[in-house]
Amino acid sequence: MNIDPRTKLIIVLCLSTLAIFIKDILFLSGILLITIMISLFFKVNILQVLREIKRLLYVLLAIAVIQSVFSTDGQVLIGLGKLTILTTVGVQKGLEFIIRIMIIISSATIITTSNSREIIQGLVQWRLPYEVAFMVSIGIRFLPILREEIKDSIVAIQLRGIEIKKTPLKKKLYIYSYLFTPILVSTIIKAQKLSMSVEMRGFRAYERRTSYMVLRMSYVDYLIIFFSFLCATTLAHLYIDQSVLTLSSLKRMSYFVYNSIRLRKFL
Amino acid sequence: MTLLGSIELKNLSFGYVKGKEIIKNINVNIDTEAITCIVGPNGSGKTTLGKLMVGILKPGSGEIYLFGENMAKMSLGQIGKKIGYLFQNPEKQFFSNTVEDEIKFILEIKGLNKEYIEEKVKSLLNLFQLNHIRTSFPLKLSQGEKQRLALAAILANEPEYLILDEPTKGLDIGLRNSLIQILKNLYDKGIGMTVMTHDYTFINQVSDRILTMYRGEIVEDKRNEY
Repeated sequence: MNIDPRTKLIIVLCLSTLAIFIKDILFLSGILLITIMISLFFKVNILQVLREIKRLLYVLLAIAVIQSVFSTDGQVLIGLGKLTILTTVGVQKGLEFIIRIMIIISSATIITTSNSREIIQGLVQWRLPYEVAFMVSIGIRFLPILREEIKDSIVAIQLRGIEIKKTPLKKKLYIYSYLFTPILVSTIIKAQKLSMSVEMRGFRAYERRTSYMVLRMSYVDYLIIFFSFLCATTLAHLYIDQSVLTLSSLKRMSYFVYNSIRLRKFL
Repeated sequence: MTLLGSIELKNLSFGYVKGKEIIKNINVNIDTEAITCIVGPNGSGKTTLGKLMVGILKPGSGEIYLFGENMAKMSLGQIGKKIGYLFQNPEKQFFSNTVEDEIKFILEIKGLNKEYIEEKVKSLLNLFQLNHIRTSFPLKLSQGEKQRLALAAILANEPEYLILDEPTKGLDIGLRNSLIQILKNLYDKGIGMTVMTHDYTFINQVSDRILTMYRGEIVEDKRNEY
């Protein structure tokens, strides 16, 4: 089945908006499950995606711990004297962050099932200026190139006889600091060459562009878009309701405690 | 039995895509004290074979023995200590902000003393005629200069063997002749090399052995007689 890239963009938009909006682990886990199911429907190699996320796990864990450190609410799990290092709320926030990132990365892979030409056309038909749409597509195309650059540089460093795995952390960080310059500069040089190349081929030569490819949405697309919005608003509504419920029950509980204390004092 | 002074490729096959082999069942023993040239048309698998020989790519099947040791059990770092590899695109192996630092890089990481480093850098800059651009940014150099810098940086590491992918690419006749001389000097010092190239002037002047590749197979193995 050929799904319009705009439909895929709307699905991704709904999923990532929900991931940012919702702050509840159970809800977020449910959304992650839905995201994985949708990705499988679009035949995304989800194992590959999870492998990629696994590589980022250390960074995610580090951010999760940092988030935990700065959240002093909840029960203290680890502390040094008066200093709070890890709390239950901190752990919860850290986990929420990891699930949120997993939703965003997994949902973004859905767009990659369309080719860049289709994505540009989809955005143009949404009245986005062609230059901006082209920029978005180039951005998407550049990500794997950037990854390759990083991989090549690490290989080249090791081929100079450096055993990265056996190198102490301080020295390892020093070696990795060498990677930034070539990756950044070669990316800028590539971007410069690309811009020159497109200009040479007459990019923006005329104000109006016509296109041989014209995307048409089918009934299935409209149906998917409708269900995406329906599910997203329902989930958001359920989440708000639950939050209000939790907030009002909390208020009621605190009011009860306050009154009991007052009553005890009076007695 | 594996030979200590050789790179041995045993039943080596490799493909980037499953079922589509680029390297097909190669069996060859490369003497590490000689200069072996690998020639062949574009897409015949020369660069892929070079990357397999240096451990960048892992064989689909078969084994590679480097100086008698199974390469599958070696890390890239361990291979890099023994073999110097020149990428087809030398830009991939630059990390520093200046030509001088690029050569210094590995020596500083190794923790060698400053005087030795300075001496080494100076001699390599002179050898590869890079003195006038010692403070230039490596990625902004011309193709020929990049090629020479990449070689200088590799040689700073004092490898036992070299694998060079198109070393004469982008060099004019004068620079090519001086590179041939440098490689001959290295050969005289006992450093052997495998060179992937199309440059027949180079091949005729330096090679001991010529392996011709075609569609992932070695179709000719010839000893060169000067």
